[in-house]
Parts: sequence; structure tokens; C-alpha cells
Amino acid sequence: MGPEQDLVEYRERLLNSMKAGVRRSTCGASDAIQVFVNQRRVGLLAGAGAEAALQVQTDARIENVQLRSEDGVLLGGLSAPEYGFRTTRISLLRDTMELRVQNYAQGGSVSAVFIPAPSLWHRARRALAGVADAAVPRPATGVAPGMRIVAFTQVLLAVALVGLVTDRTTGWMTPVRSPLPVTQTEAPWAAPLAEVTKLEQQLVDLSRMQAKAVDTIQAQQQGMAQLQRTMVKLLSTQETVASSVLTVKQEMEQRRKGATRDADHLTRVIMSKAHSAQEQLEAEIHSLTVANDQLARERAQLEQSNQELKKRLKSTGMEVSKAPVPDREKPLVAQQSEPASPPQMAEARPVPQQPPFLFWVTFSDGTSQDSIDRWVHDMHGRKGALSEGWQAVEIGPPTEPMDRFLDQIKQTKIVKAVRVSR
Amino acid sequence: MIGIGAQHMLSGDHAMPDRTTTLGRLEEVVSTVEDFDRVVLQALPILLDRAAGYTKRFLRETGQWSDDVAHEKFVLRWGAEYLEQFLVSGRSEVPCRPLFLLDSIVAKQHSRPEPFCYHSDLLTPLGRFLDGLVGRAAISRDALIALYHHCYGLGPGQIITVLGLNGSESPRIYKNFQRWRDSGWKRTIEDMGITETELHGLNEQQHRQRQRFNGEAERILRFAQAHYRKSEPDHYPCLSRHQWEDMFQQGYGIEYRIWHLALCLDCLHTAWDVGFGGASAIEKPRVTLQMQP
Repeated sequence: MGPEQDLVEYRERLLNSMKAGVRRSTCGASDAIQVFVNQRRVGLLAGAGAEAALQVQTDARIENVQLRSEDGVLLGGLSAPEYGFRTTRISLLRDTMELRVQNYAQGGSVSAVFIPAPSLWHRARRALAGVADAAVPRPATGVAPGMRIVAFTQVLLAVALVGLVTDRTTGWMTPVRSPLPVTQTEAPWAAPLAEVTKLEQQLVDLSRMQAKAVDTIQAQQQGMAQLQRTMVKLLSTQETVASSVLTVKQEMEQRRKGATRDADHLTRVIMSKAHSAQEQLEAEIHSLTVANDQLARERAQLEQSNQELKKRLKSTGMEVSKAPVPDREKPLVAQQSEPASPPQMAEARPVPQQPPFLFWVTFSDGTSQDSIDRWVHDMHGRKGALSEGWQAVEIGPPTEPMDRFLDQIKQTKIVKAVRVSR
Repeated sequence: MIGIGAQHMLSGDHAMPDRTTTLGRLEEVVSTVEDFDRVVLQALPILLDRAAGYTKRFLRETGQWSDDVAHEKFVLRWGAEYLEQFLVSGRSEVPCRPLFLLDSIVAKQHSRPEPFCYHSDLLTPLGRFLDGLVGRAAISRDALIALYHHCYGLGPGQIITVLGLNGSESPRIYKNFQRWRDSGWKRTIEDMGITETELHGLNEQQHRQRQRFNGEAERILRFAQAHYRKSEPDHYPCLSRHQWEDMFQQGYGIEYRIWHLALCLDCLHTAWDVGFGGASAIEKPRVTLQMQP
């Protein structure tokens, strides 16, 4: 077989299997039916002769619903609408499957109800009641009065039939009717004419009664059919209304949720802003408190330094006051008498001690410690404490005015900044 | 491989008496389900060629097409899949224009990330056989249960033991097996377009180089399983050893076991370890392909 022939046969086979459709399934009535949503298996409906239902909710929008037998044959399906619901009834050989699919704004739902074929007795009763369309569901309330009428008619018919049978039986049992085994030619003489006439009359009455009963039944059937049609229409309308109400409710709910969400969002934004503002305020208060504490400490230190300075001044003053006056005049004399005396001698003289001058400097980046030490040495000073990058330097009181002194310090190459207060 | 102008050939032999008229009818609005069935049934060959043509175009545009019988069969198979869906779901779309409805269904399928399982290795006779089996298993429980037999050589009793099924599930497994042997296997082979000659060739290959053949089958099987497992969202995730232990001990997840283990070789090994720990008479499942049901 050539490839072309093979391909043609394959195509023919596919077409034939599609024409065969549902008939291809070899599953029995008791086998489960698989339900697929968007071509994914979501569950089984194992009816096995009884009514069964399956409800499925999905987060994604439903595109289609398919029913497959256990051997994989596609039995039926339904294409879902973009929004809203759609129902269909799928006949499965004998049974019926009712599918309902609904799509919401987000996600959807599927309801599948397996309705088994009614039993023989049930069908016979329905046929008698003129309910030809077994597939249409009917509410019990609507059926009950009709059924009562039909039952009454049936009873009436049965009574008539019983009457006829009794009549015939009693006729056969009576002595008049005993010569039954007569031949056909003997019959006119065997039965009295009046009896035959009476029997005929009874038969006519009975047939009339039967015809009337049949008419009544037919009328009832028509009435029932009309009633059922009305009921179906009513149900359909009711379903549409219910669906519309549901849709409106959902929309209202969504809107309400949307409004609530907006309000919540606004509240959250405001609260968030207030919260952040509060946090910022707290941070500022905290930093102010810290700064305040630092200021208090510095003030305390300054006061302490001030106290020390006062003490020193006082002690110096006392020392000065204790010194003898001639000793103070002596150098003057000595200066006058010995003008060429070396300055060392003059320096050696006791001079009133002045408190050292304290200032703070920061040095340029990359300044070595040697350079700093050399500069301090050149300044005839000594290094004090190092605090937060500021180096305390103690020197003798500068002779020039403070501004100029500070300018000179600032002009030094290695000095970055200078200040006199801490 | 032989290049074939399938579109021309297919429509040549089976041309409708009046193709234009039929096409015109398909473009018109049908108002009732009966009309839909009638119009569509008359035009099945045209619709099949149309769906197959779209699939061919998709393969061409994605650089996956090759002029050979395997590719022609592939597009026919998927064309038939789309047409089957159209026949069923189209009835609920009435009133509609059937031709445009088919176009929209195919377009919707082809707009998905992986509209079908395509791989060049799946177009060989062995690949088509495995693709057909696993693909069928995604929609048929009979085929799913038969996978245990075709891939690992397990019989119904062994399947029941390995999966730890209870009494109520066991008759169903036997029933699935029976139906598969009666009709399912034959139908699947026919649907895949695998000929008797190809089946015979596969049997010979397996007979000559059993280990190599089964190794190749395992490689293709893993690919097909990974694709078709996605059609089972509830059964898709692989479980840890601890979770399998818990499931087997507690006795829940019967459906999960049946569906997932048929489509996942690694999890089947884990489940076998959990269930038997190597102390069973049943050998650890390995891919040993069985052609016949």
C-alpha cells in the first residue's frame, strides 16, 4: 500500500468515525461519564441508574464543557457564553444529561445533572397520562390535579369494564345461556331475541361510554400538554428572572465591594500618611531630646570648666597677693642696674601664671599624626582630648587679638577648621 | 520521505458534487440545531480539510512542518480533533455561521501556548504509537489503565496491587481492561493511523534490540507523559515520597493514584518503593513496551 493510499484511507476512517459519533462508545448505561471543563477532566458522574449531580467552580473563565464516556468518546458538550449562563440537555442513548454553565466576571461554574431514563412502568404511566415528552421536567404541584383526573377516568373505565365482564359472566352462568355449544345454524333459535337485543343495547352503551371516556382522556391529555407547556414557559421565565436578579445582585455586590474597597483604600492612605507624619514627628522629638541632653551635658562641662578656671584664677590671685613687694620691684632695679643681663634671667623671673588657651581644630584629610604633632609643637602647645574629630589644643594665651589668631590658625596648611568653643 | 500535496489529493478524490454551493451554505446563518447538523454533516470532508489546513499552516509558520506522510497524518488527526469539538459544541452556538465558527474554534486552539503535543520524535511509528496511547489516556479511563499494561507490562491484578486499590475499584479496573481489549486499542491505533505493517515493524525492532528499543520508548514516553499530564490539573503535581507514604497509609487519593501514576514514571517508582520497598513479588515497573492489548 502506497503512502498516498494510506493517507486517503486514514482520512476516510476519520470521517467515518466522526459520522458514527456517539454510537462509537461501547460503554454501558451504568458506566460513569467524565466531565471535562476547558478540555481538562474535572470529575465523574457515576449515575448507575440513579440521578447524580456534579458542581464545579473554576477561577478561570469557562470556554467549553464536554462529556466523555470512559472509553473516551465525546458524548456531548456545550460552548460557554462570554458572560451569563447557558443550559442544554444532552441525550445519551437512553439517559439524559443536563448541563448548565455560567461565566462570571472572574471564573465560572458548571453544573451537570445525570437524569436516568424512566422505567417501563413509569413510561407507561406517562404515556397513559399523555405525557409524551418525558424529557421536560414538571413540578409536582402542576401534575397532581391532572393526575387525579386521569386516575378518576381510569377508575371509571375500570368500573365499566368490570360491569361488562360481570354481565357477560352472569349471562354465561344463567340457565338460559346454557345451550351455548350449539352450532352456528342453530343460534337464532337458541337465544331469545329480547336477550340479544338487550345485550346489543348494553354493548352500544358500553362502547358509547368507552368513547366518552376516551374523549375525556384525550381532552385531559390536551389540557395537560397545554398546562405543561405553560409550566415550561413559566419555569423558563422564572429562571431568566432569577438569573437576571442574580446578575444584578452580583453587580450590586461588586459595586458595593468596589466602593468599600475605594473607601478602605482612601482610609488606608490617610492613615498611612498620618502614621508616617507621626513617626517623623516622634523622630524629630527624639533627635531634639538627644540634642537637648547633649547641650545639657556640654553646659555642665562648661560650668565645670568655668569653676576650675575660677579656682585657678583665685589661687593665682592669692599667690600673687602673697608675693613680697620688694621682690616685685627687684627686677626693675636689676633691670635698671643691669641692663645687659641676658633674657634668660628675665624669663626666669616669676611671672603671673595665665590660664592656657584652649581651642579645637580639625585637620585636613590625610594629615599625618607627625605633622599634627609638629604643628602642636611649633605652637608651643599640647594636645588635649579628641572628640568627634575635633582635636583640643592647649597653648599659652595668644598675644594677638582673637580674630587674627584664629585667622592665622586657619591659614595653616594642615588645619581644616578651628573653633574656640566646643 | 515522500512529499505529498495532501490538500489537493484529499479534496481531489472526495470532492463534493458542488463544493462552492456547500461552502456557501456553510457561510450562511443556520438557525436551528437540526439545520446545523444537516449542513455540517453534508460538508464534513470540507470542514476536515479546512481544520487540517489551518493546522498545517500553524506548523509551517512555527517552522515545524515537513512534507511527509507522518506530518500529513498529524495535521489530519488534529483537524479531526477540532472538527469533533466543533460538531459537539457548535450545536449550542446556534444561530451561527458554521464555517466561521469552525475557524474561531481552531484559532482559539492555536492561540494557546502548546495547542498540541508536537515533537519530531513523536512522528515516527514508535512515537505515534506512544503519543496515541498517552494522548488517549488523557480522555479515556480505559486507555489510562491500559497504559500500565502497554508501558510496564502490568496486568489488572498487578495494577490493583501496585496502586493499593480497594475492593470497589477492582472490578472497574477489570472492566476497563476488557473494554480496551475489545475495542479501545483497535480504535486508538486506527485513530493514530498506524498500519499493520508499522506495528509489525515495531515488534521486529523490539525483538531485535530489546534494550535499545525500550530505552528509546522510555525517552519518548517521558516527553509525552509530561505534555498530557497537563490536561489533568488536579493530578498534575508530583508528590514527595512522604506525601505518597501518607496517601498509601491513610488510603485516600484513589483517583490521584490512578491518574497520576499512569502518567508519571518517576512517581510510579516512588509509589512502588513506598508500597513494597523492594520486598514484593512484583518487579519494580520498568518501561517494557507491549504492542498488543
